[in-house]
Amino acid sequence: MRRYLAARLLQSLGVVALVTTFAFVMLHLAPGDPIAVSLARPNIPESVRQQWREAYGLDKPVGEQYVRWIANAARGDLGYSFSYRRPVRDVFADAVPNTLVLSGLGLLLSFAIGIGVGLAQAERPGSRRDRWLGRVLLVLYSVPDFWLALVILILFAYRLPLFPPGGMTDPVMYEYLSPGAKLLDRLRHLVLPVVTLALLTAAGVARFQRGALLAVLPSDWMRTALAKGLSWRAAVGRHAFRNALLPTITLVGLSVPAFATGAIFVEKVFSWPGMGLVVVNAIAARDYPLVTAGVMVMSVLVAACALLADLAVAVADPRVRLG
Amino acid sequence: MLGAVVLVALFAPLLAPYDPNLQLDIAHLQSQSPSFAHPFGTDTFSRDVLSRVIFGTRVSLTVALVAVSISATFGTLVGATAGYVGGAIDAVLMRFVDAAFSVPALLLLIVVIALWGQISVVTLTLLLAAVGWFTVSRLVRAEALAVRDADFVVAARALGASGWRILVRHVLPNAMGPAIVSATLSIGNVILLEAGLSYLGIGVRPPTPSWGNIIEEGATRVSDVWWLTLFPGLAILVTVFATNALGDALRDALDPRQLLSAHDDVPIT
Amino acid sequence: MFRFSPMSPRLAASFLLATLAIAGCKGLDDAKTTGPADIGGTLVITTAADAGTLLPPLIASITDRQVTDLLYDRLADIGDNLNTIGDKGFKPQLAEKWEWAPDSLSIAFHLNPKARWHDGQPVRASDVRFSVRLIKDPAMASNAAPLVANVDSVSVRDSLTAVAFFKRHTPEEFYDLVYQVVIVPEHILGNTPAAKLRDSEVGRRGIGSGRFRLAKWEPGARIELVSDTANYRGRAKLDRVIYSIAPDFNGAVTRFFSGDADLFENMRPEQIARFATDTARRLLRYPTLQYTFLDMNLRDPKAPSQPHPVFGDRTVRRALTMATDRRAMLKNAFDSLGQRLYGPFPHAMPVADTTLAQLPYDTAHAKALLDSAGWLPGSDGVRVKNGRRLAFSISLPSSSAARKQYATLLQDAFRRVGAAVTLDLSDFATYSSRQATHTFDTEIDNFATDPGVSGFKQNWSTAGMGKDGANYGSYSNPVVDAMLDSAIAAFDPARTRAYARHAFETMIEDAPAIWLYEPPTVMGLSKRVHTTTLRADGYWSDLADWWIPASERNARDRIGLRPTP
Repeated sequence: MRRYLAARLLQSLGVVALVTTFAFVMLHLAPGDPIAVSLARPNIPESVRQQWREAYGLDKPVGEQYVRWIANAARGDLGYSFSYRRPVRDVFADAVPNTLVLSGLGLLLSFAIGIGVGLAQAERPGSRRDRWLGRVLLVLYSVPDFWLALVILILFAYRLPLFPPGGMTDPVMYEYLSPGAKLLDRLRHLVLPVVTLALLTAAGVARFQRGALLAVLPSDWMRTALAKGLSWRAAVGRHAFRNALLPTITLVGLSVPAFATGAIFVEKVFSWPGMGLVVVNAIAARDYPLVTAGVMVMSVLVAACALLADLAVAVADPRVRLG
Repeated sequence: MLGAVVLVALFAPLLAPYDPNLQLDIAHLQSQSPSFAHPFGTDTFSRDVLSRVIFGTRVSLTVALVAVSISATFGTLVGATAGYVGGAIDAVLMRFVDAAFSVPALLLLIVVIALWGQISVVTLTLLLAAVGWFTVSRLVRAEALAVRDADFVVAARALGASGWRILVRHVLPNAMGPAIVSATLSIGNVILLEAGLSYLGIGVRPPTPSWGNIIEEGATRVSDVWWLTLFPGLAILVTVFATNALGDALRDALDPRQLLSAHDDVPIT
Repeated sequence: MFRFSPMSPRLAASFLLATLAIAGCKGLDDAKTTGPADIGGTLVITTAADAGTLLPPLIASITDRQVTDLLYDRLADIGDNLNTIGDKGFKPQLAEKWEWAPDSLSIAFHLNPKARWHDGQPVRASDVRFSVRLIKDPAMASNAAPLVANVDSVSVRDSLTAVAFFKRHTPEEFYDLVYQVVIVPEHILGNTPAAKLRDSEVGRRGIGSGRFRLAKWEPGARIELVSDTANYRGRAKLDRVIYSIAPDFNGAVTRFFSGDADLFENMRPEQIARFATDTARRLLRYPTLQYTFLDMNLRDPKAPSQPHPVFGDRTVRRALTMATDRRAMLKNAFDSLGQRLYGPFPHAMPVADTTLAQLPYDTAHAKALLDSAGWLPGSDGVRVKNGRRLAFSISLPSSSAARKQYATLLQDAFRRVGAAVTLDLSDFATYSSRQATHTFDTEIDNFATDPGVSGFKQNWSTAGMGKDGANYGSYSNPVVDAMLDSAIAAFDPARTRAYARHAFETMIEDAPAIWLYEPPTVMGLSKRVHTTTLRADGYWSDLADWWIPASERNARDRIGLRPTP
């Protein structure tokens, strides 16, 4: 187990390093540096721009910048954001919790819906209910992330103004609300993005869960359990479900990148101030330190989720321990 | 259903009532809601949205099909090589694939495209192919591993067949099933990815219509000119639904092992 | 994120080079007398873009400008008639009076002894000296630096007297100093090197001497200002002003119509109909001095010493202008809110002349001109000359919906006369770096002019081609140069107008740009909010005197009764 853990951890680190290096090199090879862009006005002498480049170390070769960046990152210093005019670490300190709240709730809801629907389908495979649910799932599975978010936004924020169109709190009144009203305000802002994110990913979960259940149902102990007089639901609940849950946990790890993609669009459409929004904004502003660190943080998050899921499987499934 | 979409793409010039880029009358026909003359309405430039969606089919579908063909071919070659040859090559390739899996492809594409400036449709297609071969390579590698030590392969090797020949004659045919299923399922994903990039303004460049950039052009007017969001979105939905349904059907036909194939459902982004 | 406001304030950067205005304009409800009961209330302004900085020398967007104007004072404020010559009409702010030296090369400003910074420190003459130094400091890289080039220095006579020295006696020397230099506190900012101020924490505190002070700035969410109740010019009537930052245009519109905000300054044509039946809100047009045009690069982007292969030719520029139906475009983009542009000037300027002869919309003529210039139709419909296709790009910032709309309209108009046009949409930073480095074929630009004529020189004269100018297309005509110089040097407004008219006429004929439109400036406003004068250089200039009658307050206004968090 310990060897497995170490190997798996090493692998995750390797992945993060590879991705971060890729982002760093791409950004620094791209045309135009942030100083040329943010101080583009012609009345600024080139000497001033050079001064700024030196101040931020942008005059050094890419390799040297990279080494220094890694050394700083190891100490927790992720650099300075040109567009936010704040340390990158502070920007992320605000954004990461927002993303975790949105994604965490989205993931929970998504798996709740997905597993529920998967169970409902697997109870009578091939039945009319199974087929119709399957079609609905395939539609949800096929819908473009940003489009579903837009449609939900138009319907429930613009046409029927039931929910706020974006942000995390009421921009004016939040400061002045009572604690209870503050919580309510936050929940109101969470509804549309969380539901959208859950709908986008629940279909994949349900399809997977149905397949996993159908695979274990024909097994001997299931037949035995049914023969003992247990109801289908009880049998599934006691035996099959637990077995079918293993691949589902694996799925959590595997689906994290897809989930992150959905989250980027959802954050963008609903102006949710999380990592996706920060990074997409940073790219538009050519804020290299923020983009590089953002890609790193996102890959760390994704790798960590995948690692946790793998560990969960390893703990739950004795066969994996051999690995 | 997919056939219908392909037909629309093939016969776009015959089906479209107008030139998709023609601004009919910028002062009087802009932002018209759907009507008999313009079933999908007109956009803010007085262009016929139905015609744009029809021509967008051509662009979106071509990009997706070409990208998937390239990525499936490349992924099959990589997977077969890694699986059959094994050893260090296998380890390096698969670690690379692991890394690629752990990052949203969308993020990498945004970084590359947004910072490197506006790109042609051909470059876009190549980039989409470049981030799409991982699933196929993994599946093919699994098949290749499985047959590497199968009796008929061992026998062929004993008879002195070259590695290349074994790869082509024995490994690839066995891997074709999963590869085709995976490729079909990934067409939908590539369409979604292209639409997403175009929606972010960094995919297919206007005025060439693609489903994503039609939605993008309506994004500032979602509250009143809703038909610019609705119809191209439905076109994407129908097409992706059709390719996914086809992929499901193919999988059921080619691979009865439900559990194993369930892994194909992991949304590839 | 980063998108889709009608005119993202960020893209205002280029036209903030010189913002000033001419005709004062009264709001719909002229000030009736207000009593103590009308003190209080909260005004919520929703906008699609956050401020980027609260340091006056660094402002780059409309939001930056609005908030800093409310937080900081100047030595004197321009009068409602926006006169820029001499000191006629200027109203005392930090300086309660001033004296001109006999040679007019220096002016002594006597500061109001009651003036205090928001932290309680008195405003001193040394702050004036510091403010001028800061704006002129190359390390500060201030947009306004070229505008105060004529200010030589400031010396401190005593703690309440600052003497400003000028290099030359010009009609606008007083205006250059008092309007362009916002006075900032030396004791707060003076300990940080200028190059570090841009990113420093002290730059975000917004400590000024204006009638509002900063309560809180939550980036991306809100900027809350409260009345400076002990202010030397009297407290603001409103208790607080909150800038509620919406994610995008639609978000801002929604906040306005749902009643979560009182003011939204960028109404678009499609929203107009909603006001007809709205009893709580009204539309209010306010004047500005902006204008938008397709700027053509007369120099080859790849070889700046050579003329541009397409736009170096006056005939081609005229032909392309004639290929555009600007009236139809105006109707398309702005419907009834459209305001025609007649040349490189908004109609509200004193030197504006809307009777100048325009190049007509005439595609047949445009085609004939292109033929005569040697651009002959090729096999694919695109014209060709000496093997070069008539193909070029239009550069524009993707954040501006109106400019995007025009770009696509222009693309089709040019296609009809045989030109293949690509749109080059980019983020604002990239767009402006293309401008500055002259690496574009054409670009859609938006300027806000100076009410005086010196702004024209920066934008359209040979002198403006230098690094201090904004003549991105490198247009150069000695007649225009001479006329603008004469107009700037004239102390008599009638002669200024005559010279400027001659320059404009020449420019319309030379067609270095296609004059597209004046951005419509119509705000939506809660009827309960009562305004005063709306000046063309900024409708917010007298915001501290706007009021909400006690009888019309709602729950939001009562938050002012609690202590500031």
